[in-house]
Amino acid sequence: MRDLTKRFGGVHALADVTFSVDEGEVLGIIGPNGAGKTTLLNCISGLSRLDGGDIRWDDTSISGLAPHRIARLGIGRTFQIVRPFPSMTVRENTAMGALFGQPQGRLQPHEAQKQADEVLELVGLGEKREFPVLRLTVPDRKRLEVARALAMKPKLLLLDEVMAGLNAVEVEQALGMLRGVRESGVTIVLIEHVMKVIVGICTRALVLNFGRPLAEGPPEKVLRDPKVIEAYLGERYARRQEAADKERPQPPSA
Amino acid sequence: MIARVRTMPLTWRRTAMAVIAIALAVVLLAPLTSTDVAQQAGLPLITDKLWFRIATTVAMFVTLASAWNIIGGLTGYASFGNVAFFGLGAYGTGVLVSSLRVPFAIALFAAPLTAAAFALLVGIPLLRLRGHYFAVATLGVGVAVGEVVNNVGALGASNGLFPPIIRSDLLFFYLMLGAAAIAVLSTRIILKSRFGYGLLAIRENEEAAGVIGVNTTFYKVSAFVIAAALTGLAGGIFAQWNSFINQENVFPVTYNVEMILMAVLGGAGTLLGPVAGAIVLELIIQTLAGGGSASVYSQIGLGVLLAVCVIFIPRGVIDFFGGRSRLSLRYLRSTLRETSA
Amino acid sequence: MSQFTQQVILGLLLGGVYVAVALGFSLVWGILNIVNLAHGAFVVIGAYLTWTLFAHLHLDPFLSLPIDAVALFVIGYALQRGVINRVIRAPVLFTFLLTFGLNLIIVSVLLVIFTGDFRSVTPGYSGRALQLGSISIPYIRVAGLAVAFALAAILWLILNRTRIGAAILAVGADRDAAQLVGVDLRHAYALTFAIGAAFAGVAGGIISTFQSITPTAGDPYTLQAFAVVILGGLGRVSATVAGGLLFGLIEVLAQSAPGLGSGYANAIAFAVLVIVLVVRPQGLLGRLA
Repeated sequence: MRDLTKRFGGVHALADVTFSVDEGEVLGIIGPNGAGKTTLLNCISGLSRLDGGDIRWDDTSISGLAPHRIARLGIGRTFQIVRPFPSMTVRENTAMGALFGQPQGRLQPHEAQKQADEVLELVGLGEKREFPVLRLTVPDRKRLEVARALAMKPKLLLLDEVMAGLNAVEVEQALGMLRGVRESGVTIVLIEHVMKVIVGICTRALVLNFGRPLAEGPPEKVLRDPKVIEAYLGERYARRQEAADKERPQPPSA
Repeated sequence: MIARVRTMPLTWRRTAMAVIAIALAVVLLAPLTSTDVAQQAGLPLITDKLWFRIATTVAMFVTLASAWNIIGGLTGYASFGNVAFFGLGAYGTGVLVSSLRVPFAIALFAAPLTAAAFALLVGIPLLRLRGHYFAVATLGVGVAVGEVVNNVGALGASNGLFPPIIRSDLLFFYLMLGAAAIAVLSTRIILKSRFGYGLLAIRENEEAAGVIGVNTTFYKVSAFVIAAALTGLAGGIFAQWNSFINQENVFPVTYNVEMILMAVLGGAGTLLGPVAGAIVLELIIQTLAGGGSASVYSQIGLGVLLAVCVIFIPRGVIDFFGGRSRLSLRYLRSTLRETSA
Repeated sequence: MSQFTQQVILGLLLGGVYVAVALGFSLVWGILNIVNLAHGAFVVIGAYLTWTLFAHLHLDPFLSLPIDAVALFVIGYALQRGVINRVIRAPVLFTFLLTFGLNLIIVSVLLVIFTGDFRSVTPGYSGRALQLGSISIPYIRVAGLAVAFALAAILWLILNRTRIGAAILAVGADRDAAQLVGVDLRHAYALTFAIGAAFAGVAGGIISTFQSITPTAGDPYTLQAFAVVILGGLGRVSATVAGGLLFGLIEVLAQSAPGLGSGYANAIAFAVLVIVLVVRPQGLLGRLA
């Protein structure tokens, strides 16, 4: 049972955020810009330090650990603005994740590249293995970012707005890919602005506003919460939801 | 910005390798004509004193440039003070042979060790800095260490040290060549290894490297220490070869820039770039110097060379040999456009 | 005790020099993101200019300061617009190498023109000092300090009270936005660099009044300017002033410590630099670059 609990206090960007994630869950984090969502991921992955509170993984505290140690524990992440290694090919980029991030063992370069090939098939970049990164389109670069994180064989995957900039078709494809990832047993925490994703794949949603938690629970409940609508979703969305609900039967309560 | 390991087109490659093989053979064997044995057998003297001096200096700079490449080219941390390691290596060996009468063969081991130890010491705080800060901080190291050494009596202060003279152009040439070989070999091993990939990752995107599991501090410091050790080795050999060391000749600030320019000109981040750059540039410098490399005109020449190279060929000459671009007006103009305001 | 006071006063006076040297350096770094390794060379040019005017035309050094400013302004403008601008968007390494190369060229040219002999500027009043008990305050150093403060005030006025200063600050803050509101980028860059060079020239003029100059005398000042900016912080005139004064104090006090002496100028600068960078990277008053 992998249980990730966080309690923050006193950090300006985040205050009193407390939640936990169970194994196999998909937790969606939503909220207006500047609410602290990326900061939250930065704290978990070790790029930012907590000023108060704790992050626990598998019953040990990981707050304050260097990023590479956290990575080795099985936590992988992507960045909102993708950060590939420009002078390497798609395959080499992905292989980096396998090379350095796997909890057990230090692979050698060519084993890592073989594993990278498998991961690339999974995300749909198989044919573009040898491409230099700079030749990829934005959606493909996002896939690469995910591939690299997946190559680490993580137990927890932190995704920062992977859907940003994708059109409806690409979002569907990405959703499919994420479902595959979840099925392979990886726990996912994702930040998104695209509600379709939250509804489509998340088991739970957490709403942040000004660094504080606003609401938490199953997506259907959270997205109808008046506080959330007021702070973030907006009246139009709420009305659209109501209209959609009238046209089809209510989903059975969770 | 910096070229990665590129592969040349096959025909180029074969020709280049043949040329290099021949050149290497000449360089390795020709000096033997200067031995007594060869002379007595009537072989022509191909390599005279001047040849040895220049060739040994070239080998020295190949070592320095390749060493710098490890921290500057591969890892992306452009150190401006590697001359400190050269000097420390020189003094490390120099003190042992002159004051303590330790045989050179043993004292030489102290050179890389001294340099590496110092690199470990200053590397840990300094490598937390990036860009400008790291560059000038290391520049400061280079200058400061030289200054301190110049003031310490036990190290000869401003008088310098005088290792007992070993007269053998041949020995020092092969030693320096050996150091160069070790440097290039080390680079090759690193480039193909997991360690090398880690360094590249740090160079390309340090934060991303961290979150995928690269222990950036350890890797950076290791690269720095390795570079220092190689640089120090060259210094140790120099100390005995020159039979005299003081602040001026083992901590010259211009060495910093020369080794960087050689690596960058040849192609920072590549295996053979620094080698090519060192050979070409040092030969140019030696020609400009006409015998005295401290002469004012060679300094001006170096300055102009620096300016020209930096402005027009920032990616290095290897760019051309990779077949990617050809030296043309268009290439120069596009480079200028990329980097100008 | 009075020995200590003397040191403190000397330290502050020296600090004034550092303020003068560092102002231009800080401007160029803050706005253009260029760490100008040829800054010391500009200082030396100013020093030699003052000396030449003094030695051949008997012009009082303090009167030659405006001439230094103008001459270095022109040189700086030309250099930036013609040469340095070509690499301004390249990675830091290249501007470093370029300015280092320029430094080499300038120093070497000076060596050819003036040789390595030490030159001094000694106007009639150079020996005189204000005596307060056993403490002696050389007039010429006080004048230098006054000039340094004047320079700081002038820079502040330029940046905060003139249109051209506003343009420079805009360019420093956001290059693209500045262009969008009509700032001629290349001209602004060149102007900034020119002002920096001009200030360096004036600093050189001051320095020539109390230090013997030789072409390589400028090199330590570059590292020291760097240390001053790190110590005080980037981004504000007041930061450079604070940094300069403090650095002067540190240097004088450090050099009077047992075991150290005047040969350790670079080492002290470096030590200060590293300590500040590790402990408090933004310096005393600055915003992190």
